Amino acid sequence: MGQLFAVEVIGRGIFQDTLAKNIVRGIVLAAHNEGKLGISFGRYGDSPERNGIPAKKFAIVATDEQTMQLGMAHYQPRQVDLSIVLDDTLCKGIEAWAWDGVHAINEAVKRNGTLIVVSTQGPDAILKVIHRRNEPYKLGILPGLASFSGLWVYKDDHTDVRVLGAIAKAMPELFGWESVEKYILAKVKNGELKVQSARKTYDRLTTSEVPAGKGNPEPLPHFELLKWQDMRLGTSVKGQPQGGPIEDPVTHKVGGHRPARNDKFLKYTSRSQRPVINFETCTKCTLCWLNCPDGSFDVTPDGTYDANLESCCGCGICEAVCPVKDCITMVSEAVFTANDSQWAAFKKDKCTYLEWLNSTIETAEKERSHGFRYRGQYAEQVPKALEIAKNG
Amino acid sequence: MSTYVTTDPTQDLEAFKGVKKVPYEEYFTSGHRTCEGCESAQFMRLLAKAAGPRTIVTGATGCMYVANTSYYSTPWGIPWMHTQLGAAGSSALGTAAALRALMRKGVFKNEPINVIAFCGDGGGADMGLAAISAALTQADYNLLIVLYDNESYANTGIQVSSTSPFGANTTFSTPGKVKRIMHNRWKKNVAGLMLAGHPTCNYVATVSTSYALQAMNSVRRALAIGGPTFIHCLNPCPKGWDFDPATALDLGNLAVNTGIWPLYEVEKGELKLYGKTREIAEGRFKRLPVADYLLKQGRFAHFTEEDLAYFQSQVDDMWNNWLVPGVIPLRKKAEAAAPLKK
Amino acid sequence: MATLTAPVKETRKTEEQEALITGSEAIAVACKLANVDVVTAYPIRPYDTVMNYISQLVADGELDCEFIVAEGEHSQFEIAKHASACGARVFCGSSGVGWMYAMEALTVTPALRIPMVALVGNRTLDDPGAFGVEHNDALSVRDLGWMLVWVDNAQEALDTALIAYRVAEDRRMFVPLAISCDGAFLTHSQSLVKIPPADKVKKFLPRYDRGDLLLHPDNVISVAPQANEDWVMEIRRQNYEVTERACDVIREVYADFERIFGRKYGNPFFEEYRTEDAEVVLLGMGTLSTPVKVTIDKLRSQGKRVGFVRLRWFRPFAGAQIARALDRFKAVGVIERDLSLGSPDLSGVVATELRSAMYTHARTRPPVLDFLCGLGGREVTVEDVERITDLTFQAASGKSQPLTQWIGLRG
Repeated sequence: MGQLFAVEVIGRGIFQDTLAKNIVRGIVLAAHNEGKLGISFGRYGDSPERNGIPAKKFAIVATDEQTMQLGMAHYQPRQVDLSIVLDDTLCKGIEAWAWDGVHAINEAVKRNGTLIVVSTQGPDAILKVIHRRNEPYKLGILPGLASFSGLWVYKDDHTDVRVLGAIAKAMPELFGWESVEKYILAKVKNGELKVQSARKTYDRLTTSEVPAGKGNPEPLPHFELLKWQDMRLGTSVKGQPQGGPIEDPVTHKVGGHRPARNDKFLKYTSRSQRPVINFETCTKCTLCWLNCPDGSFDVTPDGTYDANLESCCGCGICEAVCPVKDCITMVSEAVFTANDSQWAAFKKDKCTYLEWLNSTIETAEKERSHGFRYRGQYAEQVPKALEIAKNG
Repeated sequence: MSTYVTTDPTQDLEAFKGVKKVPYEEYFTSGHRTCEGCESAQFMRLLAKAAGPRTIVTGATGCMYVANTSYYSTPWGIPWMHTQLGAAGSSALGTAAALRALMRKGVFKNEPINVIAFCGDGGGADMGLAAISAALTQADYNLLIVLYDNESYANTGIQVSSTSPFGANTTFSTPGKVKRIMHNRWKKNVAGLMLAGHPTCNYVATVSTSYALQAMNSVRRALAIGGPTFIHCLNPCPKGWDFDPATALDLGNLAVNTGIWPLYEVEKGELKLYGKTREIAEGRFKRLPVADYLLKQGRFAHFTEEDLAYFQSQVDDMWNNWLVPGVIPLRKKAEAAAPLKK
Repeated sequence: MATLTAPVKETRKTEEQEALITGSEAIAVACKLANVDVVTAYPIRPYDTVMNYISQLVADGELDCEFIVAEGEHSQFEIAKHASACGARVFCGSSGVGWMYAMEALTVTPALRIPMVALVGNRTLDDPGAFGVEHNDALSVRDLGWMLVWVDNAQEALDTALIAYRVAEDRRMFVPLAISCDGAFLTHSQSLVKIPPADKVKKFLPRYDRGDLLLHPDNVISVAPQANEDWVMEIRRQNYEVTERACDVIREVYADFERIFGRKYGNPFFEEYRTEDAEVVLLGMGTLSTPVKVTIDKLRSQGKRVGFVRLRWFRPFAGAQIARALDRFKAVGVIERDLSLGSPDLSGVVATELRSAMYTHARTRPPVLDFLCGLGGREVTVEDVERITDLTFQAASGKSQPLTQWIGLRG
């Protein structure tokens, strides 16, 4: 038997669809420069992709046809040698369409395999978020901002080629630097410039060992799949019940409303940014609650609105519609590990909360791109990405 | 008063008098696999809230089917059933007919139950047009058909439909080296079609999720007024239109403020414009240039000045020359649309 | 337009009565007796006369139901499907390409476990357009979960319609059921029919009760949410269970029918005519039974020992029972009123399925010949049946015969 390699690329649906596609295709074509065979595909169950909802794409490479067949025996590789995570906010867990519950980002990485995360944070911060597992693996950070664009206009900020450079470094047996360079120069627009970015990443990438048991200890939401005899007939499922009022954690006053939420699809792992809320300056205008397409706001007994972080997907409409300055601010999800109620925290200790809020807003990664706003926008944003690329 | 048509009583759904009066209860809750900032989902949420618990909803295949109820689960807190892509009209009729017969025969207790069927622009303006039209002629039945318009077949990965705007980039209308504009059709005026073609239909309206309160009240009016009714909602789609989800409401407003998406209600033949549309018609608000709206979306990123000018000319024509601007395209005398070139 | 018999206006509460009616009208009468709630109509020949009768019944106050004329068959069947999902007893029907136009609706209805009774006035599929009988229309849904039954006279049509509601609406089933009546020959010809009294029908046919599958604000469910590969197979298995128990339910219902109405059908799945001592047997569905039986009587008087099996239920296909009934004969001749282009040996649907059942369950292996006959509304004549019988006897005596032959064809 020859050599078999499986690589998965985990990205945010639609925002990183083209990017992920470029990467898995690049993997196959770069490996082919060394005479290897390969296939690349997006997981069918993740399609149609939706903005923000995690999706996986794969590249399977083999030295010969027979080994290739082995790699294709399972539609989705059960284990991968290498997993690329295109947005560090995915690290807290992924709930894609076709999977029951929330899955650990490193679930498919095989023993001593490698996880590479595109992030502006260091490995220690990332490891607070990534769930622990029973087997060791390696973690590498590709310094960079999460590259988001959309279906029709692509943000060409070199992330795709940098990832290929990183792969060549992390897994030279898959393909070496020369193959990557050859691929970029032959097949990629502005190849000369991009080779430089890829090379920087190749030179600078380091990985560190993550021992078994290290990481986020929080359990992941999961539910059982039913046997056919236990399923409801007629393709029916029970509808959602009604929710009810909330209790103030301090005064125990009961009021407001928290709707029942679908426990089979939580959606919080779609979030790359979360709204942080100032419950003191809120004027109770209702607009955030009214306009949230996910109904993610709980109405508090005070009449203010708390973004329920178990369900919020981070679209940013609430911030856009809120009439009060700095009352709702979208901040990067990367620094958060929990979905606890902000309102409850505010009620329990107003001062501490507001201090935290203000410092969070100040240090918020405000430049996080979240999609197309105007023509030329990406061209304006690319230099910053290239700056980071220059430093590896 | 004709007794040829007999409708059953409807629910007494008064308009919500302000955002503070909107009830908390969600009948379309969270946990649906829609895009961040999906305005179509927002419309589902609003209409469910507006209709209340004594409602049956049927939903045609499309994003609001597949994304909402994906993974064999549901966000619906009212009875909901899938129907086929072109079957919004027929599913509404079947539901209404069953309720009517079974209440008359004493099998169900007599009470007004809302019947709502939804479809996207693919299911409504294209495949299911005939079924909706037929339903709107069935004056005996109380039912509401809503068309959520994200201007593409979105669930299948964004393809052109009859309501896709001129020139929009979709996977079936990709700008290429030889043909930049593959989709040269103009958006179908579905609400106009419905209100002009069905004299016994009591209520047709266009709404926008950027006007959440009005959208809910429109739904309530349609359900309360009796007979078959129709609402067409424009829903900015971050995936298909390619924009930052946070700007969804802004885009919805721009669609109205540029005059591209007129807001109106027709109640028993009486036309009422509302919102910024009314201000435009009354000369109190100058329409914004269409470029302000189009260029905020990646699907028009390939537009040249020429394309923008053409688009503008069509919208100008609609406002300047139509007998009823935005609603009925009859002209006082035949006038060609503005030419592409000067 | 030909004068129709005035529709049967009064069905009696406690007494049986007799009427001279067509197969279509018999089904309309059954709908009245069954107190259907919603009927959806769309014109296409030859099934649509049933809707003429129902329209008159509704107009005369003889039947209280919603009568909706749709704008196409797809909508027609969707309206009925959704009405049934909301607890209404429904009736609809179509013919030929009209049935095909409804195909998407027909596909999803059994998958949703929605009972429905539909009349298929069997008609040739276009192209060319032709009004006469062929069975491909109804047969086209055979893989989808529809129950399919063929009747050959108006009495059987009426009785089977009542039986159909009972079977379809049985909670163990909850499936749609199509009753096939040969276009023109059954839909449009009148025979004497005994109409059961309303009180007996009430005993036989309880109210349709959807239970916890009802779509109603008192029962908040979502029906048919999108599913994926983690769920679909289990859903299919649930629906497959229906087919596992269908034969038992049908037997139960026929037994009950006999008990209440006093009319005996014996074996529900097929009728046997003079098979006891036959050497060869013919098999077919629908109204060809008449020329076949007449021919058999004629040939019997000449000493030829031939019999006939008329298949009623095509779905469920009682394969084991049929095979064991046929395997004692020296040869079987299937009279086929359908085509299955490209099939094994280019045989029609009935022969192909029969051979499959025989392969598994028959204790011997008689030749099973297929005779494509009576397509496009052409009569199956006594001469055709004689020829078919002759060829079948030849096969029985060891003379090799083509597995599929065209009978009654010019050229």
